[in-house]
Amino acid sequence: MIWQIILLSGLVLFSILAILSKDLIKSAISLALASLFLGILFFQMNAPYAGVFEISVVAGLITVLFMLTIALTKAEGDVRESRLARLVFPLVFVVFILIDVLVMKGLLQKVPALPETSEPGAFGDVLWKQRTFDLIGQLAIILAGVFSMLALFRKRNKDE
Amino acid sequence: MIFLFIGLPLVTAALLPLIGKISKRVLPDLLANAVFLLLLVLATTAGRQVISQGPTFKQLSWLGEPVGITVAVDGFSLFMLMAISLLTLCIGLFSINYMERYGSKASYYALLLMMVAGMNGLVLVTDLFNIYLFLEVAAIASYALVAYGLEHDELEASFKYLMLSVIASAAILISIAVLFGMTGSLGFAAVADGLRRLDARFVVGFCSALFIMGFGLKAALIPFHAWLPDAHPSAPAPISAILSGLLIKVSGVYALTRIFFSVFGLTPALSQVLMYLGAVSIVIAAFLALGQKDIKRLLAYSSISQVGYVVLGIGIGTPLGIAGGLFHLFNHALAKGLLFLNSGSVQQATGTRNLEEMGGLAKRMPVTAATSLVGSLSIAGVPPLSGFWSKLIIIMALVQAKEWPLAIVAILASVLTLWYYLLIQRKAFFGKLDEKWTAVKEAPFWMTAATVILALLSIGVGLFFSAVIKSWIQPASDVLARGILIALGSWGI
Amino acid sequence: MNSTWFLYMAFAACLLFVGIYCLLTMKNVIKLFIGIEVISKGVSLALLATGFVKKNTLLAQSLVITFIVVEVSLVATALAIIINIYRHTKSLDIRKLTKLKG
Repeated sequence: MIWQIILLSGLVLFSILAILSKDLIKSAISLALASLFLGILFFQMNAPYAGVFEISVVAGLITVLFMLTIALTKAEGDVRESRLARLVFPLVFVVFILIDVLVMKGLLQKVPALPETSEPGAFGDVLWKQRTFDLIGQLAIILAGVFSMLALFRKRNKDE
Repeated sequence: MIFLFIGLPLVTAALLPLIGKISKRVLPDLLANAVFLLLLVLATTAGRQVISQGPTFKQLSWLGEPVGITVAVDGFSLFMLMAISLLTLCIGLFSINYMERYGSKASYYALLLMMVAGMNGLVLVTDLFNIYLFLEVAAIASYALVAYGLEHDELEASFKYLMLSVIASAAILISIAVLFGMTGSLGFAAVADGLRRLDARFVVGFCSALFIMGFGLKAALIPFHAWLPDAHPSAPAPISAILSGLLIKVSGVYALTRIFFSVFGLTPALSQVLMYLGAVSIVIAAFLALGQKDIKRLLAYSSISQVGYVVLGIGIGTPLGIAGGLFHLFNHALAKGLLFLNSGSVQQATGTRNLEEMGGLAKRMPVTAATSLVGSLSIAGVPPLSGFWSKLIIIMALVQAKEWPLAIVAILASVLTLWYYLLIQRKAFFGKLDEKWTAVKEAPFWMTAATVILALLSIGVGLFFSAVIKSWIQPASDVLARGILIALGSWGI
Repeated sequence: MNSTWFLYMAFAACLLFVGIYCLLTMKNVIKLFIGIEVISKGVSLALLATGFVKKNTLLAQSLVITFIVVEVSLVATALAIIINIYRHTKSLDIRKLTKLKG
């Protein structure tokens, strides 16, 4: 239990760092570290496949995409963020945590649930046999993403 | 065979970039429109089967073993499939001419086909998470299509749309997670069954609120509408037509209705919430539409208003109200699609979207003016066009349910709608012909053909409305009116 | 539902809050994108935690993996839009981008 709380806190902490940090590269690296914590947490929860996917895709692929974009958009001068937002954040966050904890404590035992049934089969069976439609959907999503990139990066020859 | 609704657009879209390399013009147009036509034919044959035999529930098998793909067509899904295929065919035809100036038609058609595949998928699935998945497919295609022209306005609109959409997706997924936690499964029938065994009124209310936030943002109900007045005008005209005519209704209203009626069951509290949300959308959006000078922005606010009518009708919960709401959904899809396509014709001919600059175009573009008149009168609710009947049914249902204040609001808002549509007609088409526009010509063949088809459909549906309602809208509203029982029964459980 | 679920959901809610705060207050478009990523982490955590508590981790993992694929596609599209925005306005400031009113 204590181990999970440490991981969860690390996750939230690095996410906050990613948001509040001024330098974009530091933000991207904090985000990657947060993904790492989330991946380890997934391993702890008996979800090795999700953990591997999270670390390799989110901490790996998406961070690379971020770095690529940051490199391609070296702006003339930085964007000046509002300092008020960054200073006010800790206060607002603490208030939110208090509300959050109270709400969750209040809801304890109030959410009814059917009893758990243990699941037979291996992960491969579940993914390929039970949730095959998800795989078709994933294919569609990947195609949609590829076509968006093709469309948004196409060569403008006439009007520009 | 039903799986073709998703599979066919998907495969064609995958092939299009390759085909686009071979032939830049003719082949992509031909292929895409052929697919749309095929989908329409498929929808009609599936329709005949469903109407005669009752809801279909297909489990695919691969090499003899049942694979986990189940699709279900009942009256409601069929109704949406017909609407999707009809409007998409006309939009495909329109795009043949209109998308010339944007270039790279192969990737445009590929994205359009992906959006259709996503919408068809959303309508056919029987599982909560799959609804989210296909919603995202259509949404990602739409982000790219809104930004298609790569100009400043379009990029801004697309980015804003994307950001708000992500919040919507998060809300929907959290709600799905809670429902999964309570019932341990994701299929409609299983979740409905599980919820009936538990007494979970408070949590179901919480999940309903999250769903209203998520799907309401997709449907652009007030107060979640902030992205629509920027996204729909900036997109290319056929994309505005498909977004306003179909996407907000399929990913917003259909998903919301399906979940509320087939999984949760419509409680009186939920009914009141939906009705008031609808009424607020109708009124506020109508007022916001009045001050607009950009023709497409005005049409966009009008879309928000009319979707309010649909939600109001469905929210009443009685079979008459649901039938009225669904009928209005269909009519608005046709008419608003028509109007947006016409605005594209006007924009191509005159180069502007500003109503103040236009005038007297009817003399030079008679077909466009005539079809535009048909579309405007249909939405405004003038007999004998289709919009009149659907609004009448909604108002009758309100009176029957003794909701007097809402009925009065609906009638008054209808008058307001008529006012601003006549304003468009007067400013853009009638009146004196401005000297700037003496050289404009009527829109090219496919564009006018598409709009004429839609106008004829509006007139036809209006004249034969009782036949349309009996054969087609009635099964859909029956499915919803009987709610959970139908869902459990029709899916063979 | 036992208290472990509420613990995880509390943290997921924190992540969602942090992400939405970022979307509301930050002005750099890439920062806005980091906000979207944080929201996605919150959602994945919520999904998997629910599965874990129901002892149904296999199903939950499939959902999370599918969701991550959706997220990647979304990131690709959004970054394509961002790069195009940069080409137009030569800056990453969202204040320079907003021209459409009403």
